[in-house]
Amino acid sequence: MEANVYIPKLAKIIEIKEEVGGARAIKTFRTVFTNGTQFEYRSGQCAMLSIFGKGESMISISSSPLVKDYLQFSVLKMGRVTSALHELEVGDLIGVRGPYGNGFPMEDWKRKNIVFIGGGIGLAPIWSVLQTALLKKEDYGELSLIYGARTSKDLVFREECEELKKKMRVFLSIDVAEPGWDEFVGFVPQNVLDKKPSSANTIAITCGPPIMIKFVIRALKDLHFEDNQIYTTVENKMKCGIGKCGRCNIGPHYVCKDGPVYSWAELKNLPQEY
Amino acid sequence: MEKILLKKALPQWVKALASYTVYSPKKDKEESWNYAEIDHEDFDPNFLNTTLPPKKILFPQKEIFLEFSKTAEGSQETLEVKEVLPEKKAAVIFGVRPCDARAAWLLDKVFSGEFTDPYYWIRRNQTTLVGLACDAPPSENCFCLSVEGSPFSEEGLDVLLTDLGDRYLVKSLTEKGEKLIQAAKHHFHDPKPEDRKKVKAIQAESVKKIKRQLKDARAVSSKLKGSFESPLWDEESMSCIRCGICTYLCPSCHCFDINDEVESASPLKGNRVRTWDTCQFPDFTMHSSGHNPRPEKASRLRQRLFHKFQYFVETYGQFQCVGCGRCISLCPVGIDIIKVLDKVNKHGS
Amino acid sequence: MAKIEDLKEEAKKLLREGKVKYIIGYGVGSNGWMANPVFVKKPEDVDALVWDPTCVHNLTRFLVDEKRRKGKEKQPDTRPVGIIVKGCDSRAIVVLLQEKFIDRKDVYILGVSCEKAGVVDEKKLAKKLAGKKPSQIELGDKDQFIISTAEGKTEVPVAEILAERCLECKANFPVIFDLMSGDKTKRTPEKPFGSIEQTEALSPEERWNFWKTELDKCIRCYACRSVCPMCYCDECVVDSINMAVAADTTAEEKSEKIKWIQRSPESSENFVYHMVRAIHLGGRCIDCGECERACPLDIPLRFLNKKLEKEAKELFGYEVGFDVSQPALISCFKDSDPEDFIR
Repeated sequence: MEANVYIPKLAKIIEIKEEVGGARAIKTFRTVFTNGTQFEYRSGQCAMLSIFGKGESMISISSSPLVKDYLQFSVLKMGRVTSALHELEVGDLIGVRGPYGNGFPMEDWKRKNIVFIGGGIGLAPIWSVLQTALLKKEDYGELSLIYGARTSKDLVFREECEELKKKMRVFLSIDVAEPGWDEFVGFVPQNVLDKKPSSANTIAITCGPPIMIKFVIRALKDLHFEDNQIYTTVENKMKCGIGKCGRCNIGPHYVCKDGPVYSWAELKNLPQEY
Repeated sequence: MEKILLKKALPQWVKALASYTVYSPKKDKEESWNYAEIDHEDFDPNFLNTTLPPKKILFPQKEIFLEFSKTAEGSQETLEVKEVLPEKKAAVIFGVRPCDARAAWLLDKVFSGEFTDPYYWIRRNQTTLVGLACDAPPSENCFCLSVEGSPFSEEGLDVLLTDLGDRYLVKSLTEKGEKLIQAAKHHFHDPKPEDRKKVKAIQAESVKKIKRQLKDARAVSSKLKGSFESPLWDEESMSCIRCGICTYLCPSCHCFDINDEVESASPLKGNRVRTWDTCQFPDFTMHSSGHNPRPEKASRLRQRLFHKFQYFVETYGQFQCVGCGRCISLCPVGIDIIKVLDKVNKHGS
Repeated sequence: MAKIEDLKEEAKKLLREGKVKYIIGYGVGSNGWMANPVFVKKPEDVDALVWDPTCVHNLTRFLVDEKRRKGKEKQPDTRPVGIIVKGCDSRAIVVLLQEKFIDRKDVYILGVSCEKAGVVDEKKLAKKLAGKKPSQIELGDKDQFIISTAEGKTEVPVAEILAERCLECKANFPVIFDLMSGDKTKRTPEKPFGSIEQTEALSPEERWNFWKTELDKCIRCYACRSVCPMCYCDECVVDSINMAVAADTTAEEKSEKIKWIQRSPESSENFVYHMVRAIHLGGRCIDCGECERACPLDIPLRFLNKKLEKEAKELFGYEVGFDVSQPALISCFKDSDPEDFIR
C-alpha cells in the first residue's frame, strides 16, 4: 500500500532567519528531512508544515527545486500554528508533507522575460521561481523584480534583494517615505505603473495581499499584458492539502490541488469567492 | 447472480457472519432508525431509512490519523509520530437504501484520484453493503429519480435485496457480495420466473410512488453557473440558522476538519484527529487573518447547492446529491433544496 | 380564537408606510401544510402569512440575525422589523430586551394567543395519522385539532398531539406586543415542571447512564444552539473552532485561545458542550422547545433547560421572560438570596 498521505515526515530545522520583527513577524526556516531524503517539486508548490500539538499550516516552498540541500519556508506569524513555528529553534523537529499544488508552468516560459511583482510576504511564493530562473538564466529572457512592503522593516529577503541588483533589475518600494529611503515611495501597483514593464514576450507573476493583486492586475492590463501573460498564486484556508476536505475550493477547483497557481485567464472565469 | 432467501432464514445468514461486525437499522425512538451492531436480529418490517446514513460507518465522524508524543531523557527530547489506521475487521451493513449506496459510490470518487485516502479505503474495502430496494419511497421528500438514481439502483452496493413478501430476491453484484452469500449458501435457492416477474412489477410500482421531482436536473446544473450573483441566494437563505444538519446527515457530504487533540501538554501527548465539518458553519472558510471568503449565509447556501449540482458535475460528471430527502425533512426551518433549484430553473439564464 | 386575518391589515399598513423593514412570520412550507418561517417584504405578500397549530418555530431567533446584519452595514437601516410571536416567543423577546441585546424600538410585535391549545408535535401527529398525509391542521372551537387528510377530516383532542412544552405552558398569550389577536385568559398548567419529574426521580447513577446514552448520540451539529434566540454570542465558549477575529486581533491572542472542548464527538466533549450551554441559559431559557425539536437525533434537551428553569424559580423566585424591567437573573443579586451553597 502506498505511503499514507496524511502522515508527515519529520524534518529538522537547520537555519532560522528573522526577516521581519514585531507584531507582523516573518521568519525564514530551512529544513532537512531526518531520513536524509528530499522530494522533487516544482516552483510554486507548497508543503504542509506540522507542529504536533498545534496543527498544520500550508506554506509555499520558497527555495528553488534545483537546490537539493534543504527546503526553505518563509512564514508570517498569524495564528496558532505559525506562532508555534516562530517559537522553534535550530535543531527542533517539525513535520513536513508534500509537495502539493500545481506549480508555475516554467517550461512554457522559455526565452520569455519575467517580471516578478510582490508585496510583503507575497515575495516568498514567487521567490522559488525567481531563484530557479536565475540558476538557469540562459533559458529565460530579462528578469526584473518589483517588490514592496509597508515599511523598510517589513521587506523580506532584504539582503538577497540587494545582491540581486547585481544580476537583474530590482525596484523596491515602501508605502510611506522614511529617512534614508531613496527608492520608490507608494504602493506596489503604483510602482508597476511607474516602471512600465514591457508586455512584449513577457510573463508577469504577482503575489501579495488580495487588494494588491487586484490593483497590480489592473495596472498590468493598462500596460497591455494579456490575461494569459499574468500569473498569481491564490491562498485559502486549508486542512487536508489534497483536495478532499472541501474547505479551500474556488468553484470546482481546490486551491491546494488544482491551484495555487493560476493565470488571470483561468482565475477570472472562476467564481470570485476567495 | 440471483438467489432467493426466505425472510425467516435471514437471521441464519446473519449468524453465519460471525467473523464480520454486522450493522443493521435499529429503531431508536418513534419512527427513527440508526445503524447499530447486531448479532441475530431480524429486519424491522416497517424500516424506512436511517437518520444517519451509512457514511457514519465508512467515514466515521471521528478518525484518529496519528499519535504524537514527546519523551524526555535528561536534556534529550525525542518526538515520536505514529500512524494509526482503522482496525482491520470485516463488516457488513444490512438495510442500505440504494440512494445511500449511490452516495458511497460518489464518495469513492472523492477519496481516490491523485491522492488515495487510506482511512476511507480500509473501511470501504472491508465493508460489504447489502442494499434493500425501496418498494415505496421511505420519505415523502425522496427524489432519487430526479438525480439519476432509482429505488433499485446498484451503484455502490455489493448485494441488493428486493422484498417479495415472504422472501427476498438476492442479487450479488460484486465479489464481496458473492462471498457473503457463500457464507450461508445452503439457505439460498434459485429464483423462479415468477420471482423475477414480481421484482419487475415492484420496481415499476415503486417508481410511480415517488411524488417529489426536481425537473430537468441537468438543465438546472447548467443554469446554476449563471445564477452565481442572483439575489435568490440571499432570499432563500434568510431563514437558515447555520447549523450542520443538512450536511452532517447528507450521505454524500464529506467535508472534514483535522485538529491536534492534546491529551497532555507536558510531556506532549495527543492525536491528530479528523472530524466531520460543514461548509454551513460561518468559520468554515475563515483564514487566520480573519478574512472570510463566505461570510454570509447566502454564499454558504449557494456553495452547498453549487457543490452538489454544478462543481461536482464539472469534476466527475455526476450530481453529488442522491435524492434521499434528509436535508429537506430535517432542516429546522424548512429550507427545501428542490424548491430552491426549481427557482434557479425558472429564473435561470 | 386568534386569527391571522386580525393582523394582516396592520401588517400591510406597516409595510406600505415603510414603518418596518420586513415582517418575520409563518408561511406554508413546501409540503403544503406545515408552517415555516417567512420574511415578508412587500404588502401584497402579506396574504402568504398563516397562523395555525403547525407554527412551531420561535421566530425571535431571526432578531439575532437582524442585529448581526445591521452590525455589518455602514449606514444601517434603523427601522424596526415586524414579528409574529406566540406567548412563549414573546418571553424570548423580553429576555433579549432585559439583556439590552435589542431595543424595544427594534421590533413591532404582532402577537397571537394560543388560548387553550398550542402547537402540534410533528412526531405525535405522524403517529396519530398512521401514514395518512395531512393537508391542513386547524384549531376547532371545542379544544380539538381538526386535521384534514385525503380521506376527510379527523378531530383529535388537543392534549393528545400537543407539543410537550405546551402541556407546561406558562404564557399562552404574548406578554409583550403592539397588536394581538385572540383571547387573553391565562391558563395555568397543573404541573409546570411535570416533564422532568421522571428524570429527577432517578438516582445519580441512573441519571448519569440516562444522559450518557442520550449525549453519546450527539453529532455536534449545533442545531440546538443555532435555533436558540438566546445563544447569540458571536464567539461561543464551547466551540473550539470559532473565534471572532478582528483586524487587530494579535497572533498571540489567536494562539492562546483556550480550547475548552475538542471537536471530536466523544462523551466527555458532548457532556461539557450540553452542560455548559444549559448553564449559560439558566435563568434565560423560556422553553420554546426548539432545541429539542431541531435535534435530528431526538435528544431530550428540554429536560436540561427545564431543570435550570425550575432551579431559578425555586432558589430565586425568578420567572424567566415576563418582566422587562426586571434585571437578568445572573446580573443581579438580592440580600435575601439563598447562601447555603456558599461555603
